[in-house]
Amino acid sequence: MDWRKVWVIARHEYLVNVRRTGFIVMTAIVPVLGILALLFAALFSGEARKLGESVEKMFDPSAGVIGVVDRSGRFSPILPEYQDRFRLYQSEAEAEQAVLDEDVTLALVIGEDYLETGTVVVVSKGSGFGSAAVSDSLSVRKFFVDHLLAGRVEPILQKRAVEPLKVQSRVLSSSGQRQSEGPWSIVFTFIVPYFMAIFLVMTIFVSSGYLLQSVAEEKESRIIEIIVSSVRPVELMTGKIAGLGALGLTQVLVWVLSVASLSGGAVALLAIAGASLIPARVLTLEVVYYVLGFILYATLMAGVGVLGTTTQESQQLAGLFSLFAALPYMVLGFIFANPNVLIARVLSFFPLTAPTMMMIRLPLAEVPWVDVAGSIAALLLSIPGALWLGARLFRVGVLIYGKRPTLKEIWLIVRRGS
Amino acid sequence: MIINVQHLTKRYGDIVAVDDLSFAVEQGELFGLLGPNGAGKTTTIRIAMDILHPDAGEITILGQPPDRAKRYVGYLPEERGLYRNLKVLDTLVYLAELKGMSTTTARGRAKYLLERVHLEEWAHRKVRELSQGMQQRLQFVASFVHDPEVLFLDEPFKGLDPLNVERVKELIAELRQQGKTVVLSSHQMNLVEVLCDRILLINRGRQVLYGPLAEIKRQYAPNTIRVRAPHLPATLPGVANVEHDDGAFNLTLAEGSDPQEVLRGLVALGVEIQSFEVAPVPLEEIFVAAVREEEARYGLA
Repeated sequence: MDWRKVWVIARHEYLVNVRRTGFIVMTAIVPVLGILALLFAALFSGEARKLGESVEKMFDPSAGVIGVVDRSGRFSPILPEYQDRFRLYQSEAEAEQAVLDEDVTLALVIGEDYLETGTVVVVSKGSGFGSAAVSDSLSVRKFFVDHLLAGRVEPILQKRAVEPLKVQSRVLSSSGQRQSEGPWSIVFTFIVPYFMAIFLVMTIFVSSGYLLQSVAEEKESRIIEIIVSSVRPVELMTGKIAGLGALGLTQVLVWVLSVASLSGGAVALLAIAGASLIPARVLTLEVVYYVLGFILYATLMAGVGVLGTTTQESQQLAGLFSLFAALPYMVLGFIFANPNVLIARVLSFFPLTAPTMMMIRLPLAEVPWVDVAGSIAALLLSIPGALWLGARLFRVGVLIYGKRPTLKEIWLIVRRGS
Repeated sequence: MIINVQHLTKRYGDIVAVDDLSFAVEQGELFGLLGPNGAGKTTTIRIAMDILHPDAGEITILGQPPDRAKRYVGYLPEERGLYRNLKVLDTLVYLAELKGMSTTTARGRAKYLLERVHLEEWAHRKVRELSQGMQQRLQFVASFVHDPEVLFLDEPFKGLDPLNVERVKELIAELRQQGKTVVLSSHQMNLVEVLCDRILLINRGRQVLYGPLAEIKRQYAPNTIRVRAPHLPATLPGVANVEHDDGAFNLTLAEGSDPQEVLRGLVALGVEIQSFEVAPVPLEEIFVAAVREEEARYGLA
């Protein structure tokens, strides 16, 4: 490998693409949208709040005025502090009419046997969406508890009955040490690596997009033949990955920095606070997985993408690998419940899912060292393989014009190497 | 010997594109790699450029395998194309740097060559702003911007207007004066035969004719003479057949007879000769004859 040539290619790809209109527009779109949103918020803050309220009402009917038909006698009259949100109706018919007329968003019919059974009929218009919202609504719950217990128990007990527990978390590592305290630190320690994993997926998408475009253009203009007669395909591939990887990183960095500065530095502070709370070991490993992951994905995408004859076709082919990178997000539910769940461990040893999987797992809990060593080994072993395969496909792919090769042809290419 | 090709074979599936081809190119030579479309010229050149790998045999350039010789080799591919959105000067500098030239040297050399093809005023314009003819000139100098020892030109006159054909011919002549070795591939044999010292004619990946052009021409010397005269005697020494054709006569020579002898014979017989012409044989006809001969020999006809 001639590293000077790799550098020449990387520099060329970066400088040419960074000046592209497409790149500038795509890079500027996030800050511009952010500024627009801020302007909009400043100009129409009143309207925006109203808009916000009406949207909220749409999704949470219990946020509006609620009609009550009380047959149990426990809820009439309505306590003064609830009178503006709850309205008594004498009969079900009256209450239903009020729902139909949209005087109230929904109505609660409390039966005579309420104390024994707890049954409440929720009347709503349109979908049954409202009934589900009611059972989860803290304000409705408070309305019931306050009416049932007011004057019968100490106010403090009444308050606890509404909200019996407020969770504070303390996670112990296997050695018994406190890892972190409070929900905030959990959010912090999780958020930064979580976004790093998303960052990786984003950089891969963005960079591979530019990579495929750059190869497709060279193929279309046929200059590729001059290029591959001057440098080895592996040098061309490496140079492109380095240059366009840097380009993708530039774009994502601009996005992140613009979001950080537009949010008044809040996001940046959050990130710094988060980073300071994360153990150095985790942070180091996150960076290792980021770099290894990028090399692996970019190499495979370059090799496979180059087989396409148009940018679009290449993107479809390369999309296969993005799917693998995103796979860990699909099992996120399991991982939250238990970061060392079997599926998470299995995916950590599979090179194509290892980088994102480990980036998500690391901050959540103490990951067994076998998994760390195993996943890094899997990546280190598969990267030379990917480079070999990528370079092989690349070498032949750059000369394929007009027709996409069949799977059988691709196999022949890989086997024979030319 | 600058280029040495030994028993080169390349297959694409069942198709044999290059079939046991061997030839050599000497220092400072203008070598013609000729043959019809699909004969295997481009495949041979691509192997020399390390773009393709042979299935058997080998090529050495300056004693090195193709992947080591890249720095010293220039290439004008048959399929033309440049970065449309890159500036003219930047294009040349980038291509020279890819061959391993330093940025400073590349810049100087690129400027010199742009002057040489009258494109210096376009140095900072984008390639797509150039006219077709200008792009062709740029493409041509791009193939030797890194000052190579050996230059492969694949169909260099393809798509050129007559004026640019002449310009490119001049540039090729200039390269030869500098002692560069040039391999020129073309299917337009008549266009390039005047340029070449030696040629290799191939068909279906195999050698048909190989050697100095003059020698090949002599070998396939014509056996027809065209004589314009009021009348000719019925029999002539050394002539097998006489045909009357539009006020002239086409004389088919007997085996082993020489056109000069026939001319002397005609003069001795007192024939009133208005014109006497040994019909030149175009390379294309030699090629057709040679292919027929070979096919007859291998029983392929």
